[in-house]
Amino acid sequence: MKNILVKELMVPISEYATVEIGTPLIDAIRALEQAQEKFTDSRYQHRAVLVLDKCGNVVGKISQLRALEAIEPEFNFLTNIKELQKFNFSEDYIVELRETYRAREQVINKDWLRVAGNKKVEEFMQAHSAGEYVSEDSDLDTAIHKLVSGRHLSLLVSNNNQITGILRVADVFTAVFNQL
Amino acid sequence: MSELIKLYQRIVQRVNINLRELNFDVNPYAEHLIAMEQMRSFYAFYGITTDHPLDLHFEHSALAGSYFLGKCKVKNSILYKTDVRGDELKRKDEVRKFQNFTLTLKNDEIIDIEDCILIKTLIHNFSHDPETPERFFIGDTLSMDYANIHGAPTNGCFLGPFATVDLTRMRDCAIGAYSYIQAREISHTQTDPGTVWIYSPGDFNFLYKYPQEALAEYIRLSTDMVPLGKLIDFIEEREENFGRVFDAANLDTVDSIPDTSSLDRYAVILPTFSIGENVLISQRAYIENSSLGKGANAQENCIIVDSILDGYNVSAHGAKIYHAHLQQGVFTGFNSFICGSADNPVTIGKDSIVMPHTIIDAEEKLEIPDEHIVWGLVRNRRELATNCISLEKLADIRGGISLGNMHFEGNGKLLVQAFKDRIHHILEVNGAFFSDNKNDGHAQRNQKLSLNTIQPFQFGEMEGMYPSIRIRP
Repeated sequence: MKNILVKELMVPISEYATVEIGTPLIDAIRALEQAQEKFTDSRYQHRAVLVLDKCGNVVGKISQLRALEAIEPEFNFLTNIKELQKFNFSEDYIVELRETYRAREQVINKDWLRVAGNKKVEEFMQAHSAGEYVSEDSDLDTAIHKLVSGRHLSLLVSNNNQITGILRVADVFTAVFNQL
Repeated sequence: MSELIKLYQRIVQRVNINLRELNFDVNPYAEHLIAMEQMRSFYAFYGITTDHPLDLHFEHSALAGSYFLGKCKVKNSILYKTDVRGDELKRKDEVRKFQNFTLTLKNDEIIDIEDCILIKTLIHNFSHDPETPERFFIGDTLSMDYANIHGAPTNGCFLGPFATVDLTRMRDCAIGAYSYIQAREISHTQTDPGTVWIYSPGDFNFLYKYPQEALAEYIRLSTDMVPLGKLIDFIEEREENFGRVFDAANLDTVDSIPDTSSLDRYAVILPTFSIGENVLISQRAYIENSSLGKGANAQENCIIVDSILDGYNVSAHGAKIYHAHLQQGVFTGFNSFICGSADNPVTIGKDSIVMPHTIIDAEEKLEIPDEHIVWGLVRNRRELATNCISLEKLADIRGGISLGNMHFEGNGKLLVQAFKDRIHHILEVNGAFFSDNKNDGHAQRNQKLSLNTIQPFQFGEMEGMYPSIRIRP
């Protein structure tokens, strides 16, 4: 894999959907739709939105899963699912609890979607960890190791401390198995 | 710069290094904890008894107003009005079992405190870390007012005011004010104020979280991180009475205490009171216009006022009971606050359990039936309905239940049994069942206790620090 460099596979940041801190969820989703319509040459569509600070630095990412999490009804402060997971409650217990609340009609509906759509991106974005960065000139072996060891679906590609693109696991997968 | 300030700064840095992953800075909490005048003014004291090994080792530490019993080492630490009670430590040649392992202890267990700031904290029981059975260590830790470190070896932690960690090995954690944690082992965990978590892996899991706004009425931190709220007010209203017992060299004996009961020399007892047989009243406990029946106890920092305890009542460390009638066998857990009034008293039925860190603040007359368990914040009958269940119903639960802000998963019978066993054990070690010179416990043994004091440096760079000293038989 040493003859393929990260920059050959990455999606340039200019092609990516980006929004600024403070943007509501609904606008972030619109930005994603526009990016998907504009750039259709890859068989894998854009599935994430990058969040930038006021200076244009990438500070986080909203994946489809994060967006879905954002529209889950917040039943109350205690039934925050992450809290229950933190205190070692089982998935079975959490699923059962959800059903209880569903029975009380606290489900996703139009009213709730309206509320969720106004949430700010920083409330639910995923901040990047140190292991999620890879240099443009790194070879693919390095990138694969970072994706696999960190269980990431994409890496931020940098050049002289500037984020220049995104390396997606789908593109790496295709490149590797085409060679195979 | 004085040695005490240098020591303080060093400990804060050590705690912060341990808590860096949680991004938790103890500086704001620590800033107003140490008052030089108080560190210099109060003496430290220690107990001598034939019942426990005596080996106290103080090195480069400040110990103002603190109490020590048993085998204990304090190094590079600042303790203020902290009780280190080594009367339940494991003993040499004791055989301990853990899972499939059996171990015979080679030495008497020691409480080992290093690089800590502990303010009005209680340290008691023994190490529940099977990897260090002979060393109950507390290191790189800062604890605020009325925290309890009970059988919980601790390293690199912060405990907010009234936080309790019980029978749990804890590493690099920040425990919020009025939180109670009993979870065998935790690490790199931060809890919000008012988190009550009892977790026994594979058996049961209990979680209750106080509504933050309501909890703030009882305990909160001011902008400069000084504890405020009803709990603090309740203690401070009575604090003046402790001055007399700590300042006087000799106190009159209280004749109406039975021979089988023990009233600690550093407890306050005010008329009118009635104390039954086999009662234990520990140091820093406060009893006023109350009756404690046979086998009842009031542990450290308990306040019992205008109340009746029928007998065999455990009032665990920091429990506060006001205008209440606790029938026989009622257990009041750590730092619980049962607050009735003359118009709205609280009655708790026989063998009921008030879980640790429960606040019952009666806006109306409240009656908890026999053999029930109550938790969390209860101010009226509506809140009682979601924060109380009969022990029988709880014992029948398999799977899960969510009631109000409480979540429970697992085998309810095991939780009920765990409480019952523990209550029986506490009564036993406190001497509640003493009869015909058998089954003696703290209530009887504490009568053979004598006390000595040690003083800090009053001037110079070492002001407020204590001389390094080792005390052995």
